[in-house]
Amino acid sequence: MNNLDARLAKCFVAVFPALKPEDAPRASVSTLQHWDSVASVTLFTLIEEEFGVTLDMDALDEFSSFQNIRTHIQKTLAV
Amino acid sequence: MKLIQALETVRAPHPENAKAFPVSLVCGFNPLHFETFLNAEMRLRWPDRKPEIRSGSYGDFWGNLQRAKEASPDLAVIILEWSDLDPRLGIRTVGAWTAPALRELPEFVRTRTDWLESAVRDLAQKCVVAVSLPTLPLPPINHTPGWRANHLELELRSRIAELAARLVDIANVRILSSQRLDELSPLAQRLDVRSEVNTGFPYHLDAASTLAKLLVSLSADDAPKKGLITDLDDTLWRGIVGEVGAAGVSWDLDHRSHMHGLYQRFLDSLASTGVLIGVASKNNPAFVDEAFQRKDMILPAASVFPMEVHWNPKSESVGRILKAWNVSADSVVFVDDSPSELAEVQSAYPGLECVLFPAMEPHLVYGLLERLRDLFGKSSITAEDSLRLQSLRSKYSSDPDTSSPAHSIESFLREAESELTVSLAKEPLDPRALELINKTNQFNLNGRRFTASEWQRYLADSNSFLQIVSYQDRYGPLGKIAVLAGRHERHTLRVDTWVMSCRAFGRRIEYGCLDELFDKFAATQIEFDFCATDRNGPLREFLAHLLGENPTAFACLSREMFLQRRLETFHRTAELIRE
Repeated sequence: MNNLDARLAKCFVAVFPALKPEDAPRASVSTLQHWDSVASVTLFTLIEEEFGVTLDMDALDEFSSFQNIRTHIQKTLAV
Repeated sequence: MKLIQALETVRAPHPENAKAFPVSLVCGFNPLHFETFLNAEMRLRWPDRKPEIRSGSYGDFWGNLQRAKEASPDLAVIILEWSDLDPRLGIRTVGAWTAPALRELPEFVRTRTDWLESAVRDLAQKCVVAVSLPTLPLPPINHTPGWRANHLELELRSRIAELAARLVDIANVRILSSQRLDELSPLAQRLDVRSEVNTGFPYHLDAASTLAKLLVSLSADDAPKKGLITDLDDTLWRGIVGEVGAAGVSWDLDHRSHMHGLYQRFLDSLASTGVLIGVASKNNPAFVDEAFQRKDMILPAASVFPMEVHWNPKSESVGRILKAWNVSADSVVFVDDSPSELAEVQSAYPGLECVLFPAMEPHLVYGLLERLRDLFGKSSITAEDSLRLQSLRSKYSSDPDTSSPAHSIESFLREAESELTVSLAKEPLDPRALELINKTNQFNLNGRRFTASEWQRYLADSNSFLQIVSYQDRYGPLGKIAVLAGRHERHTLRVDTWVMSCRAFGRRIEYGCLDELFDKFAATQIEFDFCATDRNGPLREFLAHLLGENPTAFACLSREMFLQRRLETFHRTAELIRE
């Protein structure tokens, strides 16, 4: 797991405590029962805090899986 | 605290013995991360509690307030923002900001603040209520530029100030200091417009974290420190009195030593609230006496007791002062300008709070005063506070342990002309009882603490009883110094709370407490819900003497055993108030 994945996994585990860090990359709305709107907002805020970035609120719509979020962060960090 | 730390704290398992702690969070915003921060701060402050926060519905501050009243929580946290008083004062609605529409706002806000006062009064009958009044900026609704105050803004702020002044004197109500919040969380860094508009959560994370931490501090009943031991040279005054003489030390503007004067003023203020002030100084006593006789001395010698002035190690002085005060080291703060003296004392008393006096840095001295105010701050000043120093002086001058070892304890007590006043009344609720229970460590049956609501529920039980004992003798009154509570079932009393102030030790008042209980309840035995703690050795030894063995949980003392083993007492019971 590279540095970005590890940091993102840390955010996922904080929001979904039952999730193991190694399983985080496969996490999505369909695999996590407790992924609701509050979890999305909490995850969004945690990611901003962890990576020191300000995400576009529209990105919340893309918050449906670890991989989607990872792609979005990579784009944001590249700008 | 970072949000991720808060989440990790909240999700850590509770200790097995953690007690449920129902909390009503009354707010109109989406509680989201604030609730997480609040929960985390509570977990850190009270590891033995399991916070159960109920936050109600988004946008329904007044409905949530009503639901809190019905829920009977142990703690209510109320966060009022401008938009709860009128949605036009927030940014999540687009109500009219026209001049005619705004004209009615102050009257509307007045009605709402009246409602809030009434609801808080009701809530405070049941539990502690921590209130935060508007922390977010008013939106740009008025016609004046932002740097110019306008009538509407001033009137709205005046309504809030009036509300705060009405609430602050209600028992169980605590208002968050806006000054402290401003220091830690600048106004311009609180409102997160993006988050408010998109999620209904109006705070930046840092602001939410700070607000949560302050509200938990506001809700806590931490025992204030009891005593302060201060150094003299370059601390209470500038200069070395042994070198420059009493006339050469200073604490004034002319000598650029004003911060020492401010420190003296502060100690004098602490002394007036019952805080014990002692001196530990390596010095010549004659010089020190002379300095204290100066007419411009701000801290009078009469407010200081005892003064340990000699050339022995300061840890010895501190030890003697702690003994004279009969308080434990962790209730005391030691202030000195010398890091090495602080280190020497700290190594002898690890629990003592040792604080450097930053003599050459006025802003640091000011910071020290703020810190000391936090350590010694109390919600109210009781009659007992003003008696404390006087009774200690009397005890010190008359106590056979300290002044005349040959003098027998019996003759001292016989001549003391002591009187006990015993009250068995549960109502009206006496706040001193709960204060004593929650701050006493040494003579404490089991170390159990109560929140205000737990204590009220306890006393509401018809089988419960409460004994509050006051003491006075020829050397002066000690005030209310012992509290004993439990339940009675026929001829058995079950005592589950018993505390006595350390100032009352050595007078056999504890025998008087039990004597009264056996007598007034016609009890044949008393069961004690004893639990050993790190600090309750004095009570353990007392029970061991009566029982003939170390006490265990639910140790039982029969009337016969008590009569056989009790020591002679010389108290007169001056008054008995029955429930």
